[in-house]
Amino acid sequence: MSLKPLFKEIGKIAERDEGALDLLKKRILAAAAVVLFFFAILTLRLWSLQITNGEEYAKRAYGNRVRVRQVAPPRGHVLDRFGREIVTNRPTFNAVLIQEDSYDLDDVLKRLAPVLDMDVSELWEKIREASGNPRYLPVRLKEDIDWNTLAYLENHNHEFPGIRTEVQPVRMYHYDNLAANVIGYLGSISKKELKKADRDIYSGGDIIGKKGIEKLRESDLRGEKGRSYSEVNAKGFEQKLLKSIEPLPGREIRLTLDVDLQQIAESYMEAGEKSGAVVALEVNTGRVLAAVSTPSIQIKDFIGGISVKKWKALLDNPKHPLINKVVQATYPPGSTYKMVTALAGLATGVIDENTILYCPGHYSFGNRIYRCWKHSGHGQVNLQKAIEESCDVYFYQVGLRAGVDSLAEFARKLGLGKKTGIEMEYEKNGLVPTKEWKRKNRKTKWQEGETLSVAIGQGFNLTSPLQICLMTATIANGGKVYRPQLVEQVIDPEGKIVENFSPEVVSEVKGLERYFKSIRKGMEGVVQGKHGTARRGRIKGLTIAGKTGTAQVVKIAQYRHLREENIPYKYRDHAWFTCYAPAENPEIAVTVLVEHGLHGGSAAGPVARAVLNQYFSGRLNNIDPGDEVSMKVIMSSGETVQ
Amino acid sequence: MIRIDRRLFEHFDMVFALLVVLVCTMAFFNLYSASGGPTGLSSHPYIKQGYFFLMGFAVILFVISFDYHELHSWNYPFYVATIFLLVLAYFLGDSAGGAQRWINLGFFKLQPSEPAKLMLVITLASYYSRKEVVDGYSIKQLFIPVALTALPFLLILLQPDLGTALMLGIIFVSMTVFVKLKISTYTIMGSLGFGIAVFAWEQLLKPYQKQRIQTFLNPEKDPMGHGYQILQSKIAVGSGGQFGKGYLEGTQGHLHFLPERHTDFAFSVWAEEWGVAGSVVFLGTYFLMLLWGLYVAMYAKDRFGVLLAFGVVTLIFWQAVINLFMIMGFLPVVGIPLPLVSYGGSSLLTTLLGLGILMNVRMRRFQASMAKE
Repeated sequence: MSLKPLFKEIGKIAERDEGALDLLKKRILAAAAVVLFFFAILTLRLWSLQITNGEEYAKRAYGNRVRVRQVAPPRGHVLDRFGREIVTNRPTFNAVLIQEDSYDLDDVLKRLAPVLDMDVSELWEKIREASGNPRYLPVRLKEDIDWNTLAYLENHNHEFPGIRTEVQPVRMYHYDNLAANVIGYLGSISKKELKKADRDIYSGGDIIGKKGIEKLRESDLRGEKGRSYSEVNAKGFEQKLLKSIEPLPGREIRLTLDVDLQQIAESYMEAGEKSGAVVALEVNTGRVLAAVSTPSIQIKDFIGGISVKKWKALLDNPKHPLINKVVQATYPPGSTYKMVTALAGLATGVIDENTILYCPGHYSFGNRIYRCWKHSGHGQVNLQKAIEESCDVYFYQVGLRAGVDSLAEFARKLGLGKKTGIEMEYEKNGLVPTKEWKRKNRKTKWQEGETLSVAIGQGFNLTSPLQICLMTATIANGGKVYRPQLVEQVIDPEGKIVENFSPEVVSEVKGLERYFKSIRKGMEGVVQGKHGTARRGRIKGLTIAGKTGTAQVVKIAQYRHLREENIPYKYRDHAWFTCYAPAENPEIAVTVLVEHGLHGGSAAGPVARAVLNQYFSGRLNNIDPGDEVSMKVIMSSGETVQ
Repeated sequence: MIRIDRRLFEHFDMVFALLVVLVCTMAFFNLYSASGGPTGLSSHPYIKQGYFFLMGFAVILFVISFDYHELHSWNYPFYVATIFLLVLAYFLGDSAGGAQRWINLGFFKLQPSEPAKLMLVITLASYYSRKEVVDGYSIKQLFIPVALTALPFLLILLQPDLGTALMLGIIFVSMTVFVKLKISTYTIMGSLGFGIAVFAWEQLLKPYQKQRIQTFLNPEKDPMGHGYQILQSKIAVGSGGQFGKGYLEGTQGHLHFLPERHTDFAFSVWAEEWGVAGSVVFLGTYFLMLLWGLYVAMYAKDRFGVLLAFGVVTLIFWQAVINLFMIMGFLPVVGIPLPLVSYGGSSLLTTLLGLGILMNVRMRRFQASMAKE
């Protein structure tokens, strides 16, 4: 294009149109500037989207197309000390909705409802409940669907966009409720828990340990989630699997519990509809062989979430099934405390094992009369007889001589008044009263008369069944306070032992061995002696040492004159029995508490006896008469001992 | 009259033609990817669009064969015919998404609102070249052009197709401002426009149209609903990065996250697959083509040629800017295609027709006018 004709042409135009056309053409330059301006804006915008924020958008594109599915790991099994499976897993299948993959949900749910045998409204309700969660989380529409439903959904999955089935391992309990208070249960992770949790490990809808070992050992039991990465299109259909990481099963936990002991203790407590606790400890290690709390929760109710109705019933139950009475409930120790008083008396030198005190059936102190449970009196009483026959008057005097603070000192040495450190939640401290304590907490001076009550375990003292069992074991082993332990081994999926039991001595009472010996002699008399308060608990071929106890619930006089059967249940005394065996070379300590069971020997004794019988069953040559029978015999015996 | 002068071939602008062919080629290959590539949609929109390209080139050959001044004389018959088609579409048209937009011609569905845009350009160019005012148009003098615009505007608004209707408004404003107005006219038109906008928002806009505008203002608030399209488009464009994911490798497009990916959001596919480098090359070519169109206007022989060329550039330019702004998240989803790039026969043929007019104006920049003024 040569410029000459161009200029010529422009010249012609100028002639014809004069200024107007030129003016118009000048404006074209302005228009060109506008075009360039917008080109610049668009280029800058491209730069901002693709370079400045490119990585962020690339991530979002990746998130769009790649679906990460979590594969729940099988949770670790829970075994007893001999490797018997208490809790394992079984697979269940859930129908879930992936909201981001769904379209035409209304229609899909309409067709899905009859397949799941549910109402459309129920399905919508489930979706509404989950509306607070992020959309990418699956909404569980129905849990534990049966095989036919599963097969149908799998074969027709293209007809139900967004609907998927997921496999979920669910807990399987081989012994029903066995040790439910120890093992605990699972539940969906709550929003509160999720907030605190490590988001790499947990996400909404996860199942997490809520109570007991399931909760305390969550990090061992949970395992590691597997993940599968697949490419999906906008409709949610998976195009191809990109990669997958297999889940790692949780670690196996071998408890120190012995299924047989646990079972027998539970069945005895339940057969008598007894509310209370049973603890069995290995005397020389602190292993917990049995830990029973009754009534128990029904662990099956918790699979897949407990219903509100059932939960409310548990909360309202006057026997408190949700409380683990082994450590979460405390009771006055009653006469089981007399061992503490005895030890304090011996150790401080206010008595020796031969000191004889007289029991006329009551003891006057100040202007009050303190009665012995045996109103006719025990007469001349030494330590042996005092423990054997549980003479209150003897211990009133020892208590007075030693003083309340001294009683407290030795109570603490035997592990009372503080947490034992067992792996259970919400363990209570219990209470060992001192003068100092009363001044601080009750703002009044200690009354010497109160020492008398404390000396026989009826005052301010509060102990958990586990503490009494630990005390018994400590007396039996000569002063070593072990930390009660529940876990024998933790084993990872490769079979490697990650954690192994080793006994842990929390504290040791030194130099009092001969006093312990005297006390043990008295305890032996309780069962083996002619006048022992638990002489009906004997087992042929086994020497048992123990102590009965009754914990007064109320001191209200209005009930004192009533026959025991006529006292309202909630005002009846708690029954204790604590023991160890064999007396010559103690191995096991067993403590039983029956709430409102009235008398240690009759209510609590048979349970302990059954546990011991089971524990030594392989070694005893005698054939024990049926447990049920002997239990009935003892229960029906009219003898009232304290 | 249709005798083709040898000189016309000499004056045919090869650079401009090359730019058009380049843009069309890129657009066609992009459409192949946007409609799913080898495993794509069964209807294969790219094949159909291929036929439209061929038809379009034939249309160009036809358009450049006669003098553009013929348009000057045929202006009103065209105008009436287009209005007739719009009325026809309103009463007989196929509906899609609640709008009556298409006239089914069997082999293709004509969307009369597309040629209506070009028709408005021709009409206004014709009118303003006839009524020349040196010191700017007064409001009275604008009565006829306003009326000429308002008729198709309202018909398209009734379909309802807000985006295209607004497009007509923009063409009118651009061309009218281009021919110069009196200061008083600016003021009156400005305040009138503002008043109409407020009234329209309150009274005329359908809920879905309001929704679109509101969603645009905050797309992240409702990422799965109405903000979805904008968000997915931004993700597609942004994730292209420097050099893109490669031809046919865009995940946003091919996995269907991108909505309307072969129509309104076709350029998102390009940006995702070719990155900022490819996008700048494409937009560079595209805007160079538009600038060249202004160059054509600059050297047009007469007022009608200037206005016609300018109008055609305006038409393509504003559609492109609105579409690209929408794709990049600057504007709500308004349903304006990217000329030459978005799938759609009516839009493509109209655009190629417009480009043919530009070539025509360019070819005849030296010729004495054959049409009588």
